[in-house]
Amino acid sequence: MEGLAQDILNGLLLGGLYAVVAIGLSTIFGIVKLVNLAHGDLMILSSYLSLFMVSALGVSPLLTLVAVMPVMFAVGYILQRFLLNRVLGKEMEPPLLVAFGVSIIIQNFMLMAFTPDARSLMSSLSLMTFSMGPNLSVPVLYLIDFVIALAVIIGQHYFLQSTYMGRGIRAASDDKYAAQLMGVNTKNTYAIAMGIAIMTAGVAGVLVGMTFTFYPHSGPQYLIIAFGVVVIGGLGSMKGTFAGGLILALAQILGARVFGPGYQLLCGYVVLLIVLAVRPQGIFGRG
Amino acid sequence: MTTLFTKIKWSILAAVTVGLGTVPVWGSDYAMLFFMLFCIYLALAQMWNLLAGYSGLISLGQQSFVGMGGYTVAVLSSYYGINIWLAAGLGGLTSVLLALFMSLFIFRMKGVYFTIGTWIFAEALLVWFSNWAYVKYGSGLFIKPPNDITMEAIYYAAFLLGVGSVALVYLLLRSRLGLGLMAMRDDDQVSETLGVEVFRSKLYCFLISAFVTGMTAGVFFVFQIFIQPYKAFSIDWTVKLVFMVIIGGIGTIEGPVVGALIYVLLSQFLAEYFSVSMLVLGGIAITVILVAPKGIMGTLQEKLGFEILSPRRF
Repeated sequence: MEGLAQDILNGLLLGGLYAVVAIGLSTIFGIVKLVNLAHGDLMILSSYLSLFMVSALGVSPLLTLVAVMPVMFAVGYILQRFLLNRVLGKEMEPPLLVAFGVSIIIQNFMLMAFTPDARSLMSSLSLMTFSMGPNLSVPVLYLIDFVIALAVIIGQHYFLQSTYMGRGIRAASDDKYAAQLMGVNTKNTYAIAMGIAIMTAGVAGVLVGMTFTFYPHSGPQYLIIAFGVVVIGGLGSMKGTFAGGLILALAQILGARVFGPGYQLLCGYVVLLIVLAVRPQGIFGRG
Repeated sequence: MTTLFTKIKWSILAAVTVGLGTVPVWGSDYAMLFFMLFCIYLALAQMWNLLAGYSGLISLGQQSFVGMGGYTVAVLSSYYGINIWLAAGLGGLTSVLLALFMSLFIFRMKGVYFTIGTWIFAEALLVWFSNWAYVKYGSGLFIKPPNDITMEAIYYAAFLLGVGSVALVYLLLRSRLGLGLMAMRDDDQVSETLGVEVFRSKLYCFLISAFVTGMTAGVFFVFQIFIQPYKAFSIDWTVKLVFMVIIGGIGTIEGPVVGALIYVLLSQFLAEYFSVSMLVLGGIAITVILVAPKGIMGTLQEKLGFEILSPRRF
């Protein structure tokens, strides 16, 4: 039983991080009906972007968010506006395969630009903890991840629910033609939605980079985590995404506790495959 | 006129096949290596095309069967001293068993869920094999063939699989199953109403694709001598196949042939720069989807109005 409470606490905090990794994928899946297979790679790209700024300017990784977020918004906007919008149509294959191509291009670009070595965004926060009892302590970094993740998810929810642009995006998602008749420029709307999604991926990238080591090939691993969260939590639900993140993270950490650390990823995958087979619309999904 | 055209077409095809089959006789060692890789990738790409181009199953998990076929050969030949060619054939069989097990999960999923499901399965296998003592964890296995093998023998095996895969898909599409598949591709629900067994047809294609992929991978790893989970179960396999088929022409029999040729040529030119060749291939593939979504062969067929290997019987 020793350390079980600690594992559960770590799992819950990690779940917040997984939720912010997934929120952008979930948004685009819901609005544009596209699984952006480049989501994980764009996330890792922002980890490298942050690393570049940290080493050039000597600032804290958290401060680089000020620059990473607008840059990633622009990347997402351009990607959707000039590439993905052109292949959106009745069939799902072309946009999926274009996103897959983009994913491979980004990965190999990072491999050439940043070498295959492991990197991380180290800061003084990495080792800090505060104690909550004899056998329980909170890693400060995990807590920061959790709080920022929560803020991003609530912020995005508020944006989509309450702003004019957010309503336009949801209208375009519900009925493209009706929205067009009402004067919504759906192409621009999709591009802005992708911009926001990739901006959240940028935040996730910086947080992941601060918490774990990353490589040019780390993207797909986080894509699968994001997809897993979306599958478990169901589409288009903020609470579902959060719950999905917690369940997946707990499954991994408790799996590693029972079967050994080598099986951490495997436990997550197995939970995911079972959920997919039994309830493809997700545990919290509608329908 | 058509009969003359047909005669010329089949004689050219026969000549190309004979030429390809006799490379060890007339070609250099390098030519043999080149065309062996071409045949291997042709067989693998043709199988991805059978799924994505004809059955509507976009799989990102072909590496499951590549790894399974490879490890079957490694374990059977090194641990049990079984003849290497028999082991490669059994690699196809274990891949079919794996595909059957996988289908319990992923055939409940539709569309993009199927796509990601196949990928997750492959990733799970990667983690499983790299934690499995029996196959020496992530450090991998050497394939020690109990019988003598020559490069020529590997070439002929690859040739049989490459040409066999083309013939198999051609015959399959002209069979009852193939007619059903094409009806399904055009309209899922109408064809089901007319009596096409959609689920069973898709499953058959998935199993056939696993069988040929596993066997081909077995032959490839006989050539490689060494197998490691991070290489064998890598998504890179499927990445290459996707690019080849898109560039050559998805949903055409000739497409994978052209795609595999382009891939092997490019990878030989850029042998020391794997990243560059993947960047170039990715760029070409995206351009093809934007400009000519049917790929090189699909667009040519549309413009010129003839097919070398037509799946249509009439």
